[in-house]
Amino acid sequence: MTPFLYAHQDLLLFAGVGLAKVIVFMGGVMTFAALLTLAERKVSALMQDRVGPNRASVFGFAFNGLFHPIADALKMIFKEDFVPAKAEKFLFTLAPFFAIAPVIALFAFIPFGDYVTVLGYRVDLQIADLPSALFFILALSGLAIYGTFLAGWSAKNNFALLGAMRGAAQMISYEVALGLTLVGLLMIYGTAGLQEMVRAQGALLLGFIPAWGVVLQPFACVLFLIAAIAENKRTPFDLVEGESEIIGYFMEYSSMRFAGFMFAEFLEMIVIAMLLTTLFFGGWQVPYLYEAGFTLPGGRAIPLDHYIVSALQVGSFTVKVVFFSWFMLIVRWTLPRFRFDQLMALCWKGLLPLALLNILATGAALLFLGKL
Amino acid sequence: MIAAAVYALGALAALATLLMLFQRNPVKAAMLMLTALLATAGIYLALSAQLLAALQIILYAGAIMTLFIVALTVLPQAWRDHPARAPFIKVLGLAAAAVILTELVQAAAALKTAVRPTGFSETGALALAQQLFGRFAFQFELLSLVILASIVGAVALAAKRRDA
Repeated sequence: MTPFLYAHQDLLLFAGVGLAKVIVFMGGVMTFAALLTLAERKVSALMQDRVGPNRASVFGFAFNGLFHPIADALKMIFKEDFVPAKAEKFLFTLAPFFAIAPVIALFAFIPFGDYVTVLGYRVDLQIADLPSALFFILALSGLAIYGTFLAGWSAKNNFALLGAMRGAAQMISYEVALGLTLVGLLMIYGTAGLQEMVRAQGALLLGFIPAWGVVLQPFACVLFLIAAIAENKRTPFDLVEGESEIIGYFMEYSSMRFAGFMFAEFLEMIVIAMLLTTLFFGGWQVPYLYEAGFTLPGGRAIPLDHYIVSALQVGSFTVKVVFFSWFMLIVRWTLPRFRFDQLMALCWKGLLPLALLNILATGAALLFLGKL
Repeated sequence: MIAAAVYALGALAALATLLMLFQRNPVKAAMLMLTALLATAGIYLALSAQLLAALQIILYAGAIMTLFIVALTVLPQAWRDHPARAPFIKVLGLAAAAVILTELVQAAAALKTAVRPTGFSETGALALAQQLFGRFAFQFELLSLVILASIVGAVALAAKRRDA
């Protein structure tokens, strides 16, 4: 080992472990996002009594459509890369990056497990453990709006601009509601760090109910889900891109530039599922599972190995995220689209006052019941 | 390494602000201002003031700039290219800029001699909230009145222009 490497051993170890976490976690997320594009089409087919995509095959093996995400990606790469003559070229190119970059950054704050001990080193299963992670999540999701707006504006197309303006109004409105739904959680857990929040959710209420966010803040959970789906511009809030009328802010985009927006939407879905899991459904917590194994409410203990406990926790996180992603797919193919005035009324006259009431009720409960 | 990051981000912020001043297209000017705001947030991050960086992005880049951009698109006046101002207004503007620059240079000179703190630990969200809603509660609430007044003023100005 050279003197330089020896002197910076800790730093190198830190960087190496960090890189490994990014590769493993983001690799999983990206694969899941690709599979989710297929799941979206399969779920819609299921609900409309169709078969769905099943033709893309490799050497005659189709696996019921499993290769479609790869086929889609290849098609997107080889399509014509079109830029309108009057478009603002630089901003037109920048917009897809602005849409996808903040979403990818959000994954850094999600704790997908507690920690594992590898060769004597403690490795936290979270890419970046910040004490103010929740604020960063709000900050970065606030930046996603620029991708939408720039795409619509720089294309110099009236329909695209209309979509962008609808999008900007919708995202600004629902961001306010989204932020307010989280205040109750901040008050209860007294921290803005996501790992600490998940650890706090491992406690038990009355000796047998897991203290998950959904138990303590059921109201905020529903409001958060609605606001988050609206923020992601998915049906029933997809009038930003309403296919039957204005096509939307990415109207002039084709090939991989369009794929950027599309992929950002699916990644955002996964982030929402992960945030919902982390904030309201105990993150990686399995009820009654602690570091040493299961301890049931009756007092019976089942000791388990450290690696089995870690695997169960990561598995629990994955199952919850997959479930909420599936739930969002079901919502899309069940509900019809809102009208724009209904959308704004729902936010400003519905979600916002209810979120404020929730804060008031949480404050009153904390005041009279004392700290939880 | 920290100093290099601070200088690089500071240079980026200054450059973006300068370009913004000479940009006539309102949306492009807004994007340049966004670059400057994000670079400032980057400086805070480099100095390990995480909460401040997050608040900078939420308040300036997330809230104020987006409202700015939406206002630009909603108001048709913003799309028209305004004719160049009369010469004496330009001179007045330059004079005001010169005064502000001298003030800033004077203020910065004092900072250079200030003692550099040895240990830095950021004020957490809890401590900040306790100050805002405890000791400075009155000032904090007063500030919301100022913002309300500015909203009323903005609405009044926009409504007046629409009649003309």
